[in-house]
Amino acid sequence: MMKELYFAIYAIKKNIQSSAELRTSFLINIFGMAVNNSAFIILWGFFVQSVGVIGGWTVADIIGLQGFIALCYGIVFSMAAGIRKLAEYTASGAFDRFMLSPKNLLVRIATSSFGVSAIGDIVFGIVCLGIFAFLIHATIYQVLLMALLVIISTVVFLAAAIAIYSTSFFFTDASSVTGSLFELFMTPSMFHGGAFQGVMRFIFTFAIPSLLIGALPVEIVRDISLGKLLLVGVLAIFWFAVSINIFSRAVKKYESSNFITFGS
Amino acid sequence: MKEIRLATKILKTTIKDRIQYPDRLVVDTIGVIARCGILLILYWYVFKLNNGVINGTTFLFAVWSIFFYFSFSVLRLRDISREIMKDIQTGNVEVLFSKPISYLSYRMWWQVGSGIYSFIVITLLAVVALVFIIGLPSTMTIGIFIPTLILTFLCGTILSLFLYTIVGLLSFWIEDINPVFWVVDKAVMILGGSYLPVALFPAFMLKIAMWSPFGASQFVTHTVYETWQINWYQLVGIQLFWIVLLGLIVYFMFESTKKKVSVNGG
Repeated sequence: MMKELYFAIYAIKKNIQSSAELRTSFLINIFGMAVNNSAFIILWGFFVQSVGVIGGWTVADIIGLQGFIALCYGIVFSMAAGIRKLAEYTASGAFDRFMLSPKNLLVRIATSSFGVSAIGDIVFGIVCLGIFAFLIHATIYQVLLMALLVIISTVVFLAAAIAIYSTSFFFTDASSVTGSLFELFMTPSMFHGGAFQGVMRFIFTFAIPSLLIGALPVEIVRDISLGKLLLVGVLAIFWFAVSINIFSRAVKKYESSNFITFGS
Repeated sequence: MKEIRLATKILKTTIKDRIQYPDRLVVDTIGVIARCGILLILYWYVFKLNNGVINGTTFLFAVWSIFFYFSFSVLRLRDISREIMKDIQTGNVEVLFSKPISYLSYRMWWQVGSGIYSFIVITLLAVVALVFIIGLPSTMTIGIFIPTLILTFLCGTILSLFLYTIVGLLSFWIEDINPVFWVVDKAVMILGGSYLPVALFPAFMLKIAMWSPFGASQFVTHTVYETWQINWYQLVGIQLFWIVLLGLIVYFMFESTKKKVSVNGG
């Protein structure tokens, strides 16, 4: 286990060094992504201004929501950006090289790529959560709760990403399918959390875990709801176990050396 | 004549390709459901909480306005930026420059052709579903609606192509256009009336949406409101102004990019 962890840290470090070589592009990507993300705050901020407070959600909560989502998205797709390339790896036959590696397969795939722009998400997420904490006059207890929830929502996000991109093994050219499934998971998570009520809230909590990565963490911090914290924690463990299971089963569908080439 | 033959050929080829491989249709359908469908359900709840009226607008108008935005986005005209960037990064642009066709015409027609099949199928199905489920607002039944909708749709298409082509052509000067693309794309998303319909815009934001090329490219979302009958010619005029201006920018940028490419052949 520790050996795998050391390997992951080593691979991530090398990926960062490699990406930082193109310094201008590296910095512009980070800045661009942070600007890009603020669009959602502007949008939902105006929404709250026009529509009023819905489900107890104010502009501060919207900022917190975007903070949680950006942070867990950034952490997963910067350090484990290889998961997003699963469809590409399986379609091109590049997956063979991972199968031959003596390292843990999932760790090897996840750390095979680094998303530079996702660093911008991390920066944006930290700033948003800082503003959120300031606006709600967060206590030390709430700040610690936020830190814990960032870890939990990152686990849920990672689990969702593994489960979604594992479908790459079931289709011939899966990039469009995985893209759609990811959008189905991601898009609702960025919507105004207060507008999800009744059946919609149930579906996007239990069937599709979109609300677990943003809306519920915000409500937990705001209301200091330990019941919801327990629910999110249990669901995070459940989704992570399910995603690993899906990945293990999916890998068995892969046929090695599925591309016959004549060399070059 | 040559231009028309090229356009027809590209459109025919890309549409046939999309029909043969319907993956994109599935992707676009799920995309519209994920974004537009869920958003409309949320708005239904929000309008219900506000007794059916927000900012003087009802759910019916908001739904059609949001739907027009997402329907238009199925055309994926924005992807032209990345296609141009890909051509430049892979060196494919060199091959395309050496062909006896206009590179930009080829790229633009290809972009329209690759999205039009999904656009027609999804729009038709969604329109039928929306008419049956929530009905048509009175503004969409008057005689002026269809002709002006088509006019503003065509102007919006040309404007979007020019806007995103400018972003794509920047690839000749900067290594990675993605950050620029994100900013432009989000400006279009905010000012176009995607997640927040234009009727709910604050006054200053509505002004920016009206007078900027980002908002002007999505004027199709304005057509459902009563104000459209009064100011449609002004809005179409704004679109035409931006088409001319951005068209000139595209032309001059493309002329200077030609000097930066060295076709080596072989």
